[in-house]
Amino acid sequence: MVNINSSTIWTEKYRPNTFEGVVGQEEIIKRVTNLTTSLNIPHMLFAGPAGIGKSTLAIIVAKELFKDFWKENYLELNASDARGIDVVRQEVKNFARTKSLGNVPFKIIFLDEADALTKEAQQALRRTMENYTSTCRFILSCNYSSKIIDPIQSRCVIFRFKLLERKDIEKRIKLIAQGENLSLDEQAIETIYEGSEGDCRRAINLLQASASISPTITSELVNTLLSSAKPADIKIVLDYALAGDFEKSREKLLDVMLKESIAGTDVIKSIQKEIWNLDVDPELKVKLTEKTGEIEFRLVEGSDEFIQLEALLASFVLAGLGK
Amino acid sequence: MNTIPLFEKHRPKKLEDVKGQDIAITRLRAYLKAFNLNQAKKRAILLHGPAGVGKTTLAMALASENNYELFELNASDLRNRKKLDEVLKPSTLQKSLFSKGKIILVDEVDGVTATDYGGLPELIALIEKSKFPIVVTANDVWQQKFSLLRRKCELVQLKDLDYIHVLDLLKNIVLKENKEVNEDLLKGIAAKSRGDLRAAINDLQSIIHTDAEYVHEDHIHIREKAGDIFNALKSIFKTKTNKDTIETYNNIDMELDKIQLWIEKNIPYEYKGEALVKAIEYLSKADVFKGRIYRQQHWRFLVYQNFFLSAGISSALPDKVPGFTKYQKPTRILKIWMANRKNAQKKSIAIKYAEFCHISKKRALGDFFMVSLILDDNMVKKLELSDQEKAFLQDYKGALKVAHGLNKFALEN
Repeated sequence: MVNINSSTIWTEKYRPNTFEGVVGQEEIIKRVTNLTTSLNIPHMLFAGPAGIGKSTLAIIVAKELFKDFWKENYLELNASDARGIDVVRQEVKNFARTKSLGNVPFKIIFLDEADALTKEAQQALRRTMENYTSTCRFILSCNYSSKIIDPIQSRCVIFRFKLLERKDIEKRIKLIAQGENLSLDEQAIETIYEGSEGDCRRAINLLQASASISPTITSELVNTLLSSAKPADIKIVLDYALAGDFEKSREKLLDVMLKESIAGTDVIKSIQKEIWNLDVDPELKVKLTEKTGEIEFRLVEGSDEFIQLEALLASFVLAGLGK
Repeated sequence: MNTIPLFEKHRPKKLEDVKGQDIAITRLRAYLKAFNLNQAKKRAILLHGPAGVGKTTLAMALASENNYELFELNASDLRNRKKLDEVLKPSTLQKSLFSKGKIILVDEVDGVTATDYGGLPELIALIEKSKFPIVVTANDVWQQKFSLLRRKCELVQLKDLDYIHVLDLLKNIVLKENKEVNEDLLKGIAAKSRGDLRAAINDLQSIIHTDAEYVHEDHIHIREKAGDIFNALKSIFKTKTNKDTIETYNNIDMELDKIQLWIEKNIPYEYKGEALVKAIEYLSKADVFKGRIYRQQHWRFLVYQNFFLSAGISSALPDKVPGFTKYQKPTRILKIWMANRKNAQKKSIAIKYAEFCHISKKRALGDFFMVSLILDDNMVKKLELSDQEKAFLQDYKGALKVAHGLNKFALEN
């Protein structure tokens, strides 16, 4: 069932190769299997959160259709990486120029994270889809189908992927643990599931990252890994400001932002969430949140996000003075 | 090994060898002649102009050409009355032991303070009674504190040196040093010196001993005329806000966007508490207008950016705190640049991983702490990571394990 190739990244090594291997999306699998065996594939839109099998299913469709030549007949593009629709169009053009190999009359283009494209870019994509319908079928994936413009939605068969249940992810984790000779208890599985937030890729990555530290995987180890992903440092930045040390506060902020290459908009989100946990008057929390909103607005209007964040830190300095 | 800096080594010994300052040379000679005949209208001559155009060199050449002894006085080192007295008085009141004359050089008078420790009044008194000619040099003679000195001295303004003069002098030095330097490179140095010959020669020195193929024009960096920004900061932070405050940045050779960074860096060194908060608030507003200028190309908004950066920042503290503040150069942009260079490895690793795993670069970067642990030696080979990427990954993993105490889990087994 699972094809064990030489890859040592488990999300790839244990990626299902056949329709039967996919967990959780029974109803979708049935319909897509029928379409594939009939060799009559429409454009498709796979909608749903990350890590529930959208890319996997697209690859399986290509493998089932083209067998050994699937790589020649399958183009995978990521809309959030490709620099603009022009790049997408050019790649599609180059790929669609030649006819498909074998007895399938079309090739498959998988455009991942299509909802990262702007409305204008999607309009351009729509035209591209029409131009190449005779030689290509598009499979688009997105997190939210509402972010895909109507004309594209109407040209696609939409498949809404379900969030994976705990038993689905557990099944996968246990299978891998067995294959890799890992020891892991129920509690560790529980922690991995919680940490994955229903994202199977993340669950497997978490398992492999844990296994890279120790083959005995405990809930504590998984938790430690999970906590290292959180930017706890924002709290320190705010603490310095509240204590009146503006210089230290801004220095720390710059450190945090540069080390993890965090954008200003992400910093302000963390600050906004953190305010409610601060040890200050509720009234002050409201004031600070109001200021945070104002600064988030200026962040969009201004040119230098760090200066805007400094202005927010200055408000915290003022709050620390009790004003 | 010869350790004399090139610009010292090749300093002209005679006035005619000093290039590009012909008017100044004529006036220096005339002053000396008049002084000796006791006909000089002013008892001292003041050479002023930007750094590195030859003020000190002219004074030295004047002395050596006439076989005079040069008594050099670097005013930056002599900030108090006593020292000025000790050094100046004996040489002005006594004749030199040998028959030849003596010239007193008061170099870089900019550093002398006007009131607290004296210095300037003493210098003026000495000019009045000195039996020897005095050459004073200064960068900016138009400062308020020099008003009396200006009246006591004959003023000679030195201009920025021509690009052509700088280039000729550089070529000459290369020839004398028996070296070969690509002409384009010399042109680059000359152009980037902005008329500062000393800077140009220093730049030349920095590359003359390096193998030619490693040197590129881009390695020569333009000198910031940072002196100006320091004065601007001083007047913003130290002078009471007045009608001239909004003009502060008009006379300095720096873009407003860069000035904004200088202001940002230095606010906390001047203001604390509420004044700090107010000032940063104005800085933030200035930046909002900057953003609007860029997005809408509406240059009229420059007025507001300038206003908040000058009067806004200045007014944050109405009662100014006197005293000296050491202003710092903005470092944030450099830090961002360095971090980007470092993160470039992280990015390129993430791209390789993302392609292998059919995900976006963004997701790979977001989960990089897990990705880094997953990439074992086998995968490193498979993804064909470069040596730099390998080194980065190794460091990153190491730091991650230490920071979160992951090693203790490994030890338990």
